[in-house]
Amino acid sequence: MKISHNWLKEYIPVRLKPSQLAEDLSMIGLEVEGFEELAAKYQGFVVAQVLERTKHPHADRLSVCKVNVGNEDLQIVCGAPNVDAGQKVVVGLVGATVPRNQHDSDGRPFVLSQVSIRGVQSSGMICSEYELAVGDDANGILVLNPKAKPGTPFAKHLGLSDVVYSMEITANRGDWLSHIGVARELQVIMDAKASLPASLIKESKTPVGKHATIKIIDAAKCRRYVSRVVRNVKVGPSPKWLQDRLMAIGLRPINNIVDITNYVLMETGQPLHAFDYDTLERHTIVVKCAKDGEKFTTLDGKERTLRADTLMICDAEKPIAIAGVMGGANTEISERTTNVLIESANFDPSSIRKTSKYLGLSTDASQRFERGVDMEMSLYAANRAAELLQKLAGGEVLKGAIDVYPRKLQPAKISLRVSRTNAVLGTSFTQNEIVSFLKRLELKVAKRTRDSITFIVPSFRYDLVEEIDLIEEVARAYGYDKIETKTRTTIDFTKPLNTGSLQESLRDYFIGAGFNEMLTYSLQDKAKGLMTGERAVEVLNPVSAEASVLRTSLIPGALTVVKHNRAHGLNDLRLFEIGNVFALKGEKPTDDLADFLEDERILMVMSGSVVPQQYGSEHRGVDFFDLKGEVQALLSKFCLDKYRFISYDTAGALIESALAVEINGTYAGLLGKVGKSISERFDIDDAIFVCEMRVSALVGRRTAEKKLTPLPRFPSVDRDLAFVVDSVVQHETVERTIREAGGTLLANVVLFDLYQGDQVGAGKKSLAYSLEFQPLDRTLTDREIDAEVNRIVQRVEEACKAKLRAT
Amino acid sequence: MNARISEARASFQTALEKAQTDADLDQVRVQFLSRSGAIANLFEEMRSLPVAEKPALGKLLNVLKFEAQAAFDEKKRTLDASTVRGSDTVDLTLPGRPRPVGTKHPLMQTIDDIKRIFVSMGFSVATGPEIETDYYNFGALNFPADHPARDMQDTFFISKDILLRTHTSPVQIRTMEKQNPPVREIMPGRVYRNEAISARSLVSFYQIEGLYVDQGVTFSDLKGTLVAFARQFYGNDVRFKFRPTFFPFTEPSADMYISCFLCKGKGCRMCKQAGWLEILGSGMVHPHVLKNVGYDTEKYTGFAFGMGIERTASLRYGVDDLRLYYENDVRFLKQF
Ligand SMILES: [Zn+2]
Repeated sequence: MKISHNWLKEYIPVRLKPSQLAEDLSMIGLEVEGFEELAAKYQGFVVAQVLERTKHPHADRLSVCKVNVGNEDLQIVCGAPNVDAGQKVVVGLVGATVPRNQHDSDGRPFVLSQVSIRGVQSSGMICSEYELAVGDDANGILVLNPKAKPGTPFAKHLGLSDVVYSMEITANRGDWLSHIGVARELQVIMDAKASLPASLIKESKTPVGKHATIKIIDAAKCRRYVSRVVRNVKVGPSPKWLQDRLMAIGLRPINNIVDITNYVLMETGQPLHAFDYDTLERHTIVVKCAKDGEKFTTLDGKERTLRADTLMICDAEKPIAIAGVMGGANTEISERTTNVLIESANFDPSSIRKTSKYLGLSTDASQRFERGVDMEMSLYAANRAAELLQKLAGGEVLKGAIDVYPRKLQPAKISLRVSRTNAVLGTSFTQNEIVSFLKRLELKVAKRTRDSITFIVPSFRYDLVEEIDLIEEVARAYGYDKIETKTRTTIDFTKPLNTGSLQESLRDYFIGAGFNEMLTYSLQDKAKGLMTGERAVEVLNPVSAEASVLRTSLIPGALTVVKHNRAHGLNDLRLFEIGNVFALKGEKPTDDLADFLEDERILMVMSGSVVPQQYGSEHRGVDFFDLKGEVQALLSKFCLDKYRFISYDTAGALIESALAVEINGTYAGLLGKVGKSISERFDIDDAIFVCEMRVSALVGRRTAEKKLTPLPRFPSVDRDLAFVVDSVVQHETVERTIREAGGTLLANVVLFDLYQGDQVGAGKKSLAYSLEFQPLDRTLTDREIDAEVNRIVQRVEEACKAKLRAT
Repeated sequence: MNARISEARASFQTALEKAQTDADLDQVRVQFLSRSGAIANLFEEMRSLPVAEKPALGKLLNVLKFEAQAAFDEKKRTLDASTVRGSDTVDLTLPGRPRPVGTKHPLMQTIDDIKRIFVSMGFSVATGPEIETDYYNFGALNFPADHPARDMQDTFFISKDILLRTHTSPVQIRTMEKQNPPVREIMPGRVYRNEAISARSLVSFYQIEGLYVDQGVTFSDLKGTLVAFARQFYGNDVRFKFRPTFFPFTEPSADMYISCFLCKGKGCRMCKQAGWLEILGSGMVHPHVLKNVGYDTEKYTGFAFGMGIERTASLRYGVDDLRLYYENDVRFLKQF
């Protein structure tokens, strides 16, 4: 929202400097993002007189001009065909920034320098109206009125002395979307009163009632409709002061009728519409909803399809405007218009918002109606527009206004307790202080009791509805920064104290284990989302196809990261991520949250070399068992011995040769190598090992539940055994058999050698285990151990078709 | 006897000087310092002498023994050192065997640092789902249907009533529904906004919110708590200001600014010449919100606040393209 400094002065005497005004308004919540001094744009541009014009000695189309810029004469080369001696022109001096470059396709600004053009020195430039950004003609230079005085700064010549503020208006304060609204807010920071000028109309004797009829059918959506009729207007350009006002805040002047409606809108915040009276069938206005599917052409020339809840302004036969959004082409003001009907209405905010949303059409009017417009402004704004039409377009204003106002607004009354105000703010205001703060916002006292004050709220503050709203106004008017800054820290020991989460421990663990934490997007393209074969959750209104589906696994995102790093020669990767994945439980998304799955996962990624490059150590690529070892370490840290691996025949969609992890008897995740067809889709030609597990599965056992196992008091005894088995026999089977046969004395079994080759023969392998026997209550004798070992050997030989190798 | 002692000292010194290798040195040790060595023998001889001579001689012998041992130790140190410097010794300047070094993602580091400060003030940590209902994300937080306030947060919808949360505030509602005051929680998590992806905005980002509801919680406490946080996080010398703003779920609402820690308030590129940096949004929990979770609004008041983690981390680390956080270039990750 742009607000003009000079314009504000029409409603309140502004004595603050722009920088101070910007700061002070921001500090009460009306954020000024910045301000622009309009004259600054024309620094270095002056009015000049062309004294002489001669042909350029080396170029047919160029002229060499001698121009007077007030205090001196300059030589300037000019290419415009219309330049001539005696003209008053605008010269940009060396160092000035030309607002638009007509030789640049985007018209970007450029800085003037002293140049030599085909051997002739040129000290500046005579500008076109395009270059000066005061018009679109780029064919010749701008020639000024002969009365213009050389040496006058161009900004002064234009009458530019205004400062324009860019304001960020919060969604609750529709009243700030006007100059009077901002002027009223200034009352909080300045000791001055804001007011609108009284409107003075010389009405004709003809009563308006005989010439127009207004009927509201849908009174819930149209709360008030005020209309005035002005006859015999002359459509033409607006006077300069009006054009300047509009241009200062970024509006393009069109003609006096349209400019007046825009001016009154920016002055009062009340959107107006001017209809060509003679195009209105039976000079009647009917406010009612459209027929579903009805077509209507708005004045931007676009055909729109309406719905049954679209509020329309109609005449006796046809729709003529989409209420509160945009007028129709059929009743638009044209050069031939002589009679005008002004609409100054008030529409239901949510109805206008719905219409604006579904039409995808947001206008100055709809933006204001959505936030709400002062119900008591309709009549003033209609009168003000009529007054200006009379003054600036010479119209005859018919007697009286038609004001259809089915349910007149009763002024809101809100009670505020002094005790409550202080309890919320932590202040100690007295009743009188509170009254003085709120008076500056035009709130009037209706009643006072010992603790409570009842205020009458002005109609433009429709955002104030209850006590807390007034408490905020007290805080704003007093100043947030003046409220005491207190620190109060009380720790509540009635609940268990925060001891950090599993996720934090996992993160710390992985960092200690040499993994880099990554975070990837949870919104992905559809191809990645569907890779797992799960039913992915899709976004109805994605911003791009790249971010349209929620991830069903952390793996595809991680592969994007691997791809990025490999592209930069970073192949040795140890990465982890903790994050949520999502899926639909049923076939289709529903409106029930219970039908969506949200699962927190942990992903480990390993690829490249097993240890960083170094001397004295052989390079070895990461393999499955490096990953498995990391997973085992993690699980023994977080789940003690409550996990096991299960070998699957069929792997996951993304992982080939996978092992499943089970924790406390529940499926926790998969580990393995990323499938070749998947890595190829990420242009990765190396083996990538990943393990994805559910974080909730790791919650099984936490530190607090751990119990000490007493340390052994008697020495343990180690024995090594090697078995030759068929290659198809799995280590896990052998180990399990050993453990089962070993009984309570057997404390640990470690595979320390695996051999396949000539010494054991084809189709065979040798597995060598170190067995640790740990007695609890005595020292073991050799005989006892031999008995244990024999039993184990016998069982393994039977169960695994194994042969003991000499040890 | 005195002469014998001097003689032993002289021959020890000669032998020690001659010794060049560990073996030589060991021979000196056996010859003079061992249990059957020359010095031990002298002690043995002394035992047979008259009692009157013993104290003086004993003193002399002890001095010899001590000096000899010290000289021997010194010689051994010198010899050891020179051995290391010899031709077949180890080059200790060779690099240690490197092992991979893990790192925490800068966004998580930032969340952890913020968490730690609030946890020390008695807050605990709560989380909630990223897929949310319209009610938890908007309705319960006092966003009226068809109100422009909803435009403040462009939303990704999954179905009519299901969406991707646009802020972590739904966790406030879920937390309050589950427990009675006092409530003192901080809520980190991922949130989603339907905005075009660029260096300055992403479709999802991390946020951390805080909530404190109890009897007697005031706007003054809000300021105190957040100033205490800002001083811990940004440094003790920062200045601060609170500016009114609008959020549907708090009233009064305030944006908090701190003096730019880079330029100390003079104005620089980071603070866009303002000298101030907006660090968080906050406010007193709106009575409608408390009412929606069944709290007695006359008895309880509270404050809430929230900040974007990417922005906070970027201020800290000087990251000016938010996409870097999600690209996970290991050269980037390893800097944190
Ligand atoms: Zn700065």
